[in-house]
Amino acid sequence: MSVQVLLGPQSPRPNLVSAVETTAFDGPVLSITAGWRDSEGEIDDIAADIGLPVQDLGLYQKAETVLANEPELNDLQRERQEKLQELQKLYRIRLNCSLASAHTLLTTEGDDELLRLEQRAAISQLRALDRHHLRRIAAIHANFDARRASLDIPKATAARDEIRSLVASAGLVLIAGGHVAVLINRIRLFGLQSLLRDKPIIAWSAGAMVLGERIVLFHDNAPQGARNAEVLDAGLGLVDKFIPLPHAHSRLDWSDATRMSLFARRFAPSRCCTLDFGSMIRLESGRVAAVAGSSVITRSGKKSSLVAR
Amino acid sequence: MNQSITQLIAGKPVSPESVDSFVRDNTFPLVEPGRVTFVWRGQADEVFLRCWISGLSTAQPLERLDGTDLWALAMDLPDGSRFEYKFEVVANGHRQLVLDALNEVQAHDPFGTNSVCQSHGYQRPSWTLPDPDSRSGTLETLRVASGAFGEAREVQVYLPARYRKTRRYPLLVVHDGLDYLRFADFKTVLDNLIHRLEIPAMIVALTQSPDRMKEYTCDERHARFLGEELLPGLRLKLPISESPADCGLLGSSLGAVASFHTAAQYPQTFGKLLLLSGTFAFSDLGHHKKGPALDGVVEFVNGYRANPFPLAERIYMSCGIYESLIYENRSLLPLLQAQGMQVHFEEARDAHNWENWRDRLRLGLSWLFPGPLWMVYE
Repeated sequence: MSVQVLLGPQSPRPNLVSAVETTAFDGPVLSITAGWRDSEGEIDDIAADIGLPVQDLGLYQKAETVLANEPELNDLQRERQEKLQELQKLYRIRLNCSLASAHTLLTTEGDDELLRLEQRAAISQLRALDRHHLRRIAAIHANFDARRASLDIPKATAARDEIRSLVASAGLVLIAGGHVAVLINRIRLFGLQSLLRDKPIIAWSAGAMVLGERIVLFHDNAPQGARNAEVLDAGLGLVDKFIPLPHAHSRLDWSDATRMSLFARRFAPSRCCTLDFGSMIRLESGRVAAVAGSSVITRSGKKSSLVAR
Repeated sequence: MNQSITQLIAGKPVSPESVDSFVRDNTFPLVEPGRVTFVWRGQADEVFLRCWISGLSTAQPLERLDGTDLWALAMDLPDGSRFEYKFEVVANGHRQLVLDALNEVQAHDPFGTNSVCQSHGYQRPSWTLPDPDSRSGTLETLRVASGAFGEAREVQVYLPARYRKTRRYPLLVVHDGLDYLRFADFKTVLDNLIHRLEIPAMIVALTQSPDRMKEYTCDERHARFLGEELLPGLRLKLPISESPADCGLLGSSLGAVASFHTAAQYPQTFGKLLLLSGTFAFSDLGHHKKGPALDGVVEFVNGYRANPFPLAERIYMSCGIYESLIYENRSLLPLLQAQGMQVHFEEARDAHNWENWRDRLRLGLSWLFPGPLWMVYE
């Protein structure tokens, strides 16, 4: 049985300890804190809290070292990142127009039947755009993987083998939050997706985001105003039909029901689940086995408590 | 007239006790949507509100309320506004500028202290107040040798929390830097915005001129000091990014002019400009009337208006709508945009003062130097 526990932010009120206590595992505890970037590996507090030794994989630093020592891989990686960034800009151009028209249609008054079909079509277009974007991203990753396979990069291969062997022998993997793009990038760089599939995982914030099928960025209260939620990349696909939303209380504008409704309908049938301080969603073989303090965004843009089944 | 004043004077004769309780039970000035009423209490021949709002008389008389020692002035003021003021009290032939004794809200600047009027809807931004969760950066003093000025200059350098020599940081060079620390809570603002990931961890060089009226009025020595001495000197000592996109200048009033002038002397060196209430004086025809101290500024701005060119990648400009400089700033905006530069212009319901500039820092800094907020979910 695969077990994933999704948590909200761990500061200032951590609930990692109770998640660890209620998760059965056999073997050493590993952590992935690549999202913390320069602060990666500062896990003394975590180890002290859970009362167990924790080994950090050091993915961020190891990637820095590997890329510094393997210039061909570094060039390839840089090329991929530049392409992804460029593609994201192009996607945003289309996304902004599509979202604006869908939002307008959801707030327009008129013949109900006529309007309903146009609203559905607008949301379908949005979903198609998101799918198209993910396909384009997947093609870039596939191109990277194919070209990487032909490189003679012994240092990178050795580092990858070492890390994969640590993950293979782990009893429990903790994935911390932080910079979500860095986190997914480092997990991919070392090819850990398949190895993580059968491991008990406790992940919080950005860590929870990367476990899903797609990673959705969002912030309605940024200094420059609300930004449109956008798909960044595919996730690891370890958790089906969930869009984890860390800091949802502060990052989402719940007063705009139309905006929230559009958010929920755009990503359906995935459930958009809040992960705030104290939140916990425990998944066992894909089933929601236990929940604390998490809500889903409904079609009408409201909150509804997520319940275990 | 404000309702509480109307009620007070309705019950004539007004007893001193009822005046006492009126003063005790209200906060001043009296604020209601779209309107503010100033109140002064005491014996005087005349009382004026002294404020420096473009479009209004600098001295507006308060009227004595019959049978009391209260003086009042009601004025329309858009919601969300803020400005600074004093009372001018005339008694026995003497004029004296005094703070509003009934108003505890004050602001400080290099010239002293003023009372602050905050209209309906204005709230001091939370990010300007100390946040116990924000990690504190540090301030260090560096001495930079300057051939331009023929002496070493001291610069305060802000290093962000978790500063590491192995990283590369953006750099912001600030004019009137010590004043920004003292009067605009700049260190608190930096700590908070970095903590909230709204701006990246950055190094900030806080410069302070011993003679800003000379050095900030398009003085070639000042531009040379920043472009050829301070910037390379800091890059030698500190881990600062080499990219112009990571290098910015900040200034308000004449400091904004000095920032603009320096960027013009060293185009594409400082990729980001944060210009607040810039004294961008110019003349379309004939000699300007801003006084000889601004001759150099007018000459420079006139020259730039005649032959504009792109000098930075992004510019954030702001000016208070209650200051006369709004005219100059609005005039400059389309010219800058026409050069292909990205310009964000914000008009503030405020005047020419430090707290106006403080309140603009979040939008200005985060627009010029966007932090990783979008990507980070701790």
